[in-house]
Amino acid sequence: MPVDLDLNKRYKPEPITDYERECIAKLKPGEYEIYSEKFNNIVLEAKEIATRIGISGFFHAGDLIVGIYTANGDLASAYCGVYLHTVTSQLAIKYILKYFKDDPTVGIKEGDIFYANEALYGGVHNPDQAAIMPIFYDGELIAWAVTAVHQPETGAIEPGGMPVTARTRYDEGMKLPPIKIGENYQIRTDMLDMMANMVSRAPRMQIVDTKARVAGCDRIRVRVQELAREKGKELVVGVLRRMVDAAEEAVSKRLEQWEDGTYRAVTFFDTIGTQDALVRCSLTLTKKGNRVTFDFSGSSPENDGSFNSFDHITRSHSSIYLFGVPFADLPASSGVYAPLDFVVPKGTYLDANWDASVANSPVANCATVTAISLAMAKLLFASGEHDLATAVYSATGCSFHVAGVNQWGVLFADILANVFNAEGGGARTNRDGIDSWGFPYGCWGKGPDVEDMENEQPHLHLFFKHRQNSMGFGKYRGGAGTTIGVAVHSVPSLVYQSNSKNHKVPTAVGLFGGYPPATHPGITVVNTNYFEKMKRGDKDLPTNAIEMVKERTIKGEYLIEGNIRDARPYQRGDIFIGSSPGGGGYGDVLERDPEAVIQDLENGFISEWVAKNVYKVVYDPETRILDEEATQKAREQEREARKRRGQPFDQFMEEWSKKRPAEEALAYFGKWPTGEPVREIVRI
Amino acid sequence: MRKQITEYLDIDLINEMWVCRRCDHALISAHENYKKGCLVYDRNPHEIQPPEIEGEYTFSPDPDWIRYVEFYCPSCGTLIETEALPPGHPITHDIELDIEKLKEKYLLTKED
Repeated sequence: MPVDLDLNKRYKPEPITDYERECIAKLKPGEYEIYSEKFNNIVLEAKEIATRIGISGFFHAGDLIVGIYTANGDLASAYCGVYLHTVTSQLAIKYILKYFKDDPTVGIKEGDIFYANEALYGGVHNPDQAAIMPIFYDGELIAWAVTAVHQPETGAIEPGGMPVTARTRYDEGMKLPPIKIGENYQIRTDMLDMMANMVSRAPRMQIVDTKARVAGCDRIRVRVQELAREKGKELVVGVLRRMVDAAEEAVSKRLEQWEDGTYRAVTFFDTIGTQDALVRCSLTLTKKGNRVTFDFSGSSPENDGSFNSFDHITRSHSSIYLFGVPFADLPASSGVYAPLDFVVPKGTYLDANWDASVANSPVANCATVTAISLAMAKLLFASGEHDLATAVYSATGCSFHVAGVNQWGVLFADILANVFNAEGGGARTNRDGIDSWGFPYGCWGKGPDVEDMENEQPHLHLFFKHRQNSMGFGKYRGGAGTTIGVAVHSVPSLVYQSNSKNHKVPTAVGLFGGYPPATHPGITVVNTNYFEKMKRGDKDLPTNAIEMVKERTIKGEYLIEGNIRDARPYQRGDIFIGSSPGGGGYGDVLERDPEAVIQDLENGFISEWVAKNVYKVVYDPETRILDEEATQKAREQEREARKRRGQPFDQFMEEWSKKRPAEEALAYFGKWPTGEPVREIVRI
Repeated sequence: MRKQITEYLDIDLINEMWVCRRCDHALISAHENYKKGCLVYDRNPHEIQPPEIEGEYTFSPDPDWIRYVEFYCPSCGTLIETEALPPGHPITHDIELDIEKLKEKYLLTKED
């Protein structure tokens, strides 16, 4: 492959140039503070512009990113969105600079518009499309702008852009290396036609959303040129580079204060797309002085499904946690990465061969985000940063896709962005996680209104609500996840598909004794009489998924399967059900305030069974008034029971080490338990 | 001099031991994995997240695929940590601190 994979390793700041150094030296007192904030506001404004123009679900939800970069392609500032795109987009800019700057057939000129969505050229997976614009002033390249948003259709072998049946890169649809799609501030029609042709399940969305990305970039361009006119281009260059350096210096200082040591985490998920399979992410985080190394040795081998990644994709997923939690107060710039190193072994699913399908790389990297979050939480807590340590946010990436012709006669392919942006938050060291908190990858995203979605998508929401017992229990519980049920309405049929997982094992985990969240299956009901019953005004329509499956007041064929589901047609009245997970719990369940348990019962967040059997709370079943004394006694009895059933470590290991997971679970795990490759993957 | 490391564990920097914060029980040397000083229990996840429906996929983890390994203080029974692991999977040595550096940082600072 004619791909410069070494270029994908250039995620750290480029060496400072003499010109940048001169520009920083010319900054007057206060100018950095004022204009760094100005750049933060510029990207925020550009994000608003992009959101208002784009039409697909990710624009509605705000799951996007807008960034501003130095002339050398280093990220200087980004709107708080899907940070991983800003980190990877640096690689596309650096590719353009390296290969096109001096190529007379391409070149980099004022008014140029570039575009990219290819993972091998620094991208994440091909639904993630980025518009890239150089910003010139007085004929000099002074900055770059990027707007990246997930496009819910790519022309792949399944609708939705993330085909779960993909086995190689050839199954993934449109994959553009960095190309020029516009000149003189105008997008070329032939380029838009090319995209529409490649993404012909939803051509209108592709064209409008491409323009929205470019509009986001152009707003940055306009504001940066205004600033250069007002204050001089040296100020722009100086402040942008200073934002990179300031982040590097601050991260370095902060790391120096944290406790040296080795922190480890292992996390798991349960699919490669084409079949259920246990996959392990193994992380050893070593912190010494002002350096941290994230080493993913021991992770499962690459697979012939679509749940693979490349090393730069794995690295970039760290930004979701690093930019969002411990360094959230610093410029979201490449400087954060200067003191950080990554070891992502070739041949693991985290750095697969170039021909692998990475269609579901973000879903596979949920385990990466979880492992980093868990190991970092232990480092932060040990270092006294208790307010930054949290149980793991669910990070399941529960993307459910829908495609077809909508009620307006328009081809569309989109995501159910409401349930997607409603995972439960991880419990904190001093309070519960937030219910239906959001999507960790784009933590400022929002669940769009049901009515808003039904205006574009021809299905009816039967329910969209918190799911009982979905969270990890603990002294502080994780936030509740949600469940959604939709029935095809106002069109004869639609296609649904699910990229979600966690039907066999949870990926998110608890912290310091807190439990992981629950798992959740995929549920489909076809040939139903739902709308007949609705029309009759029947009173026994189910109000949630479990009630629907258990009571079966709706006639039909019930299919309960893994959460991952390939694209298949649903007729009018057929029902698709999916869930978002809860967050991990924090601390010992026996330390949870019994009144908080009663409150959870009252609110329907937990069942009576959990209150009694997990939290050991005793109360009057009629009035739900707490019996404090009996609760204290029940909890003391449980502590004693733990001491009786728990075994000394060596004794426990004697029995434990003889056990193995179910054989079918290990098909893609690698050698048990080391995870070394046991098969050669051949892709054709 | 004790340094808090987790919600439930300190390191006694003088004696170089992991110590339970709830009952002051000394678990094991601070140079070891604290889990080796705990009582350990292999928990079926169905005992925590009850299966909500019948069949293979139940809204509760599959106990043939994953277990909740619980680590208790042998003195007071506090649940110090829970790991979600496939049956038989090696136990994670999750926190391995540079004890000498800790002592240098906190003991010397205190004396100063």
